[in-house]
Amino acid sequence: MEKSLDKMTFSETIKRVALVGNPNVGKSVLFNALTGAYVTVSNYPGTSVEVARGNTVLDGKEWQVIDTPGMYSIHTITEEERVAREILLNESPDVVIHVLDARNLERMLAMTIQLIEAGLPVVLVVNIMDEAERMGLKIDLAELQKRLGIPVIGAATARKRGIDQIRSAIGTYVKGPVSDRFTYSDSLEKDIAEVVNLMKGKYVLSRKCLALLLLQQDDEINDVCREQDPVGFEKLSAKVKEIGFHRRESFNLDLSLERRRMVSDLLAGVFVAPEKRVDTLSERISTLTVRPLTGVPLLLIVLYFGLYKFVGEFGAGTVVDLLEKQFLVEIFNPWITGLVNSIVPWEIIQELIVGEYGIITLGIRYAVGIILPIVATFFVFFSFLEDTGYFPRLALLVDRVFKYIGLTGRAVIPMVLGFGCDTMATMVTRTLETTRERIIATLLLALAIPCSAQLGVIIGLLSQSPGALMVWSICMLLLFLVVGFLAARIMPGDAPMFYMELPPMRMPQLGNVVTKTYTRIQWYFIEILPLFILASVLLWLGKVTGFFEKMINAMTPLMASIGLPKETAVAFIFGFFRRDYGAAGLYDLQTKGLMDARQLTVAAVTLTLFIPCVAQFLVMKNERGWKVASIIGVGVSLIAYGSGYLLNQFLLVTGIL
Amino acid sequence: MKCGYCGHEFEESEGKKGCGSCRGGCNSIHCPNCNYKNPIEPALVKKIRSLFDNTTKKGGV
Repeated sequence: MEKSLDKMTFSETIKRVALVGNPNVGKSVLFNALTGAYVTVSNYPGTSVEVARGNTVLDGKEWQVIDTPGMYSIHTITEEERVAREILLNESPDVVIHVLDARNLERMLAMTIQLIEAGLPVVLVVNIMDEAERMGLKIDLAELQKRLGIPVIGAATARKRGIDQIRSAIGTYVKGPVSDRFTYSDSLEKDIAEVVNLMKGKYVLSRKCLALLLLQQDDEINDVCREQDPVGFEKLSAKVKEIGFHRRESFNLDLSLERRRMVSDLLAGVFVAPEKRVDTLSERISTLTVRPLTGVPLLLIVLYFGLYKFVGEFGAGTVVDLLEKQFLVEIFNPWITGLVNSIVPWEIIQELIVGEYGIITLGIRYAVGIILPIVATFFVFFSFLEDTGYFPRLALLVDRVFKYIGLTGRAVIPMVLGFGCDTMATMVTRTLETTRERIIATLLLALAIPCSAQLGVIIGLLSQSPGALMVWSICMLLLFLVVGFLAARIMPGDAPMFYMELPPMRMPQLGNVVTKTYTRIQWYFIEILPLFILASVLLWLGKVTGFFEKMINAMTPLMASIGLPKETAVAFIFGFFRRDYGAAGLYDLQTKGLMDARQLTVAAVTLTLFIPCVAQFLVMKNERGWKVASIIGVGVSLIAYGSGYLLNQFLLVTGIL
Repeated sequence: MKCGYCGHEFEESEGKKGCGSCRGGCNSIHCPNCNYKNPIEPALVKKIRSLFDNTTKKGGV
């Protein structure tokens, strides 16, 4: 920490105010209200955590406002928390604004006590007062201020309430002596005193606070104390170990219970909740979604109606049938073919535009007739689910399972985004905390998470035969878990802790769902249309030069080994450009009646498992480097082919399809 | 805007715009809190919304 302090230079004339608190308590809204439009956002030195800074004038003086990452306690666990604490330690802010959510005052006030105990110049902002009042909660802010001994301001920053008082409190803040009004039990105070007596050197935080952090086995504070007093550190460390041994490693629990007691004493008569807390419908649904016993069946119901019925049957069935078969194939393509043939005299160019692999008759037909309706219905479902606030609950639900595959609920973000586009999701894996997590998530995205178009086409394709869809789903889930489990064993390490503040569940708003769906479809269409046209041109080139035929012949034995007809080689060549293009190729073959349920299932599983597209491989290379990307690429291809082979043998022997 | 994943409220200028992997841009902002990709409201919708906002303010509600 000293090192990073050395690297930074701060102007002595400018005062600093740091905003701290849990995530989602309105820190950023307050930051924007204080600073206006001119802010800088940069990575905190040596980390990937971004910190926003902006300037403002308060009481005639210039102040720098620092929006720190969310933290739950001074005893840090995540990288974001470590950065927030380093800002408090290294930048010695003149005022620390602790923003908390009035609705969760009891839970969040423990950190206020820690900040005061640390000797920091704290101002408490009890935010979201409007919502708390609506819920019938009553908070006596004047009494709370008296008991805490620091300025306390009630606010609703999203409604601009309390901003003037906060500005005034910062501008006129006068630091008092370090408060010792919060005392623990006699035995804990004795332990703290024994540690404090052995501490020498100069520290930013109070010794009592540091002693507690040392007793909580905080490695960074350990290093700080060693740097300050290399000679006496051994004695200090031995004392900390001795106390830890006496307390049978239950120190964290003891401390947490004591702080809970302090908070209840503080809030006695200050915080009044309505006699009977009435759970709203959304709160009850929220609870059901995160409990495994009810959450898993609910997830299956959501997938059945959302993916199978809406995207599969309606999008890939009804809408594709109308748009592709009844309009494009039966009306539009014959008309445009006749028109092009009558205008363009050269057969080769006719072939390029309206031939077997023509830009219009294949590329645009696939993009508009097959992919667009499927992607559109998928994004309606996705945006609807997103707007309800379901995804963070899914993260909590799967966190326990994800631990077995070396991930945490945090990895739900790239996984969920992967169902939209795997390439972008691979890039998002950089936000995961450890390299191990990033590699495992990259591998699983490349292998077992189909992108939206591919997922939609496959569901549409296989929903004609529910057994086939079931086999495909089981294969994907099994491979996801088994490969993840093996990857986690090959790369040993602990999965980091996962905390998440749950936003409320809500009724989705039509406007939000339409807007989000529209933006996503627009992005997807811009992304795929040129690629589909390019693929058609390349396929046409392959056809006129005879190269395409040679490739199909070369791939025939490979196709035959997994029980697929020669024609599927075409879909796999399409799939080389993009997996969804390949899936659309399979859709075409199925409508021509060239494949039975077994072959469709094997082809769908094999194609899903291959790396989605060239773009994803390039992003994997950028994010994880050549070596890891190549190992994943080769591994995924082998698993894809091997799984196709084994599945075909299994289906042939059992005859279940 | 409000993040569709974690509910974090932030200004468009605060989030990271896209990841640069798409041609033509993806019209999305990554949330500064959780990095979830949020679609940006199309310009036309923003204009319509601001029109309504202005009307509401003028009406003194």
